[in-house]
Amino acid sequence: MVMDMRTCVGCQACMAACTAENKTPFWNGKFRTHVEDKTQGTFPDVRRVLLPRLCMHCENTPCLSACPTGATFMTEDGIVKVNYDRCIGCYACCIACPYDARYAYDREDVHKEEELYGKFTAHEQPHVDKCTFCDHRLEEGMEPACSSTCPTHSRIFGDLDDPNSEVHKLATSGRAQALSQSLGTSPKVFYIPS
Amino acid sequence: MTFVHQEVWHWQIATYLFLGGLGGATFAISALIHLFEGCDRKMLSIAVMSSIGFLVLGTVFLLADMLQPLKAIYALTNPHSWIFWGVIFINFYFVSAIAYVIPLLEVWPKLNPYIQKIPAGILNLLERFNKLAALTGSAAGFLVAIYTGLLISAAPAISFWNTPALPLLFVISGFSTGAAFLLLLSTFSKNEESWKIIAKLEELDAMLIVTELIILGAYFNFALFLPTGARESAEVLFHSPLFIVGFFIFGLIVPLAIETYGIFFAKHDRKSGHLLVLASTMVLVGGYLLRYYVLKAGLFQFPW
Repeated sequence: MVMDMRTCVGCQACMAACTAENKTPFWNGKFRTHVEDKTQGTFPDVRRVLLPRLCMHCENTPCLSACPTGATFMTEDGIVKVNYDRCIGCYACCIACPYDARYAYDREDVHKEEELYGKFTAHEQPHVDKCTFCDHRLEEGMEPACSSTCPTHSRIFGDLDDPNSEVHKLATSGRAQALSQSLGTSPKVFYIPS
Repeated sequence: MTFVHQEVWHWQIATYLFLGGLGGATFAISALIHLFEGCDRKMLSIAVMSSIGFLVLGTVFLLADMLQPLKAIYALTNPHSWIFWGVIFINFYFVSAIAYVIPLLEVWPKLNPYIQKIPAGILNLLERFNKLAALTGSAAGFLVAIYTGLLISAAPAISFWNTPALPLLFVISGFSTGAAFLLLLSTFSKNEESWKIIAKLEELDAMLIVTELIILGAYFNFALFLPTGARESAEVLFHSPLFIVGFFIFGLIVPLAIETYGIFFAKHDRKSGHLLVLASTMVLVGGYLLRYYVLKAGLFQFPW
């Protein structure tokens, strides 16, 4: 995924789309994706920066190494996922993640989800939750909910390995960069600065 | 750059880290004293049973903090994770400690009927390999104590934790709390020989506290001079009165002063016993505060 920070307007439609699609516990302020709204500099040289963020689906994955149960795994397509049946909720992955991309889907959230959406619609047991790039939508040939909803085309999704894809071209254009590269995590989400 | 307090691991995990270090070290020190110095078997069995109790209680705190504790067996899946190794070390410890303590319990007449129920062949085997169990249990105890630091140092975005000094600090502090607990226990012994052990433990704890002070100096020197979350964390700790007064002054400096007085000037009698009880209790409370505040001061350094 490429995030074009030049066009993000901070409308948070991506967050709304994600929570509706994946039934994340918005009632407790927990989301798989966020839009950071930051102010940089000091008066009078001040500017507003909007930074959309989600799991970076790192190639060198600190959360996967920290997970003792193997619940965190990487699919053949390079998507980092959690097997809910194996997750014991020890939070080692939350501590290891340098991008704040994980949160606990606890017992209270499971009950609230049941109340709102009906029994066992998405999360039938407590576990640590994270972005999956909406892989259930990818299987249907659709884009992740956040990128398909983004009204300003700030989130560009595609196959990084396909040299003809828009994301590959943007990611290798020299303008895009990954976050916290010094940690050696090799993220699969790139940012075009504003 | 944003610094955000970690809101994931709280006092329950601090308690687990404290009891892990205390339990592992209590076993290792008491078994090594048994091997190299010899000691009262009654006191030794109480010490070993306490160390097992500390680790059982610590494990309960760890499980209580999990979302799905009943699935904890799955933690034996990924050897890249420190928790995987923690489970191995703790189980290895339990097996060795139980094998070691069973023959020692024969000194308690009330327990004899239960011990007699164990087949004689197994009891003979346990008696024969008692020293081996002492050694393997000590190694496992050391590994459990150092694991508590390794577990939380595996956090690339929390630079205050992600340092080789932390496992060292936790293992030395763990052994200091272990020595303090044994010192506390020994002051209740009516055996005249126990003063010899007390003198050894006093020297050991004083040396461990001095080592801990050196590591703390290096640790904070590293943290304060880097423009990272580690500096922010160190400043949080410097502004926490309970960390400075409770851990640093009353958990390290005052017990070190009391123990130094005990080593060089005190006659070992009932009066100096009271001082030792005070010093040991302060080391134990300080050990808990160290872990509680290190967890509390964990700050993520996010790139936005």
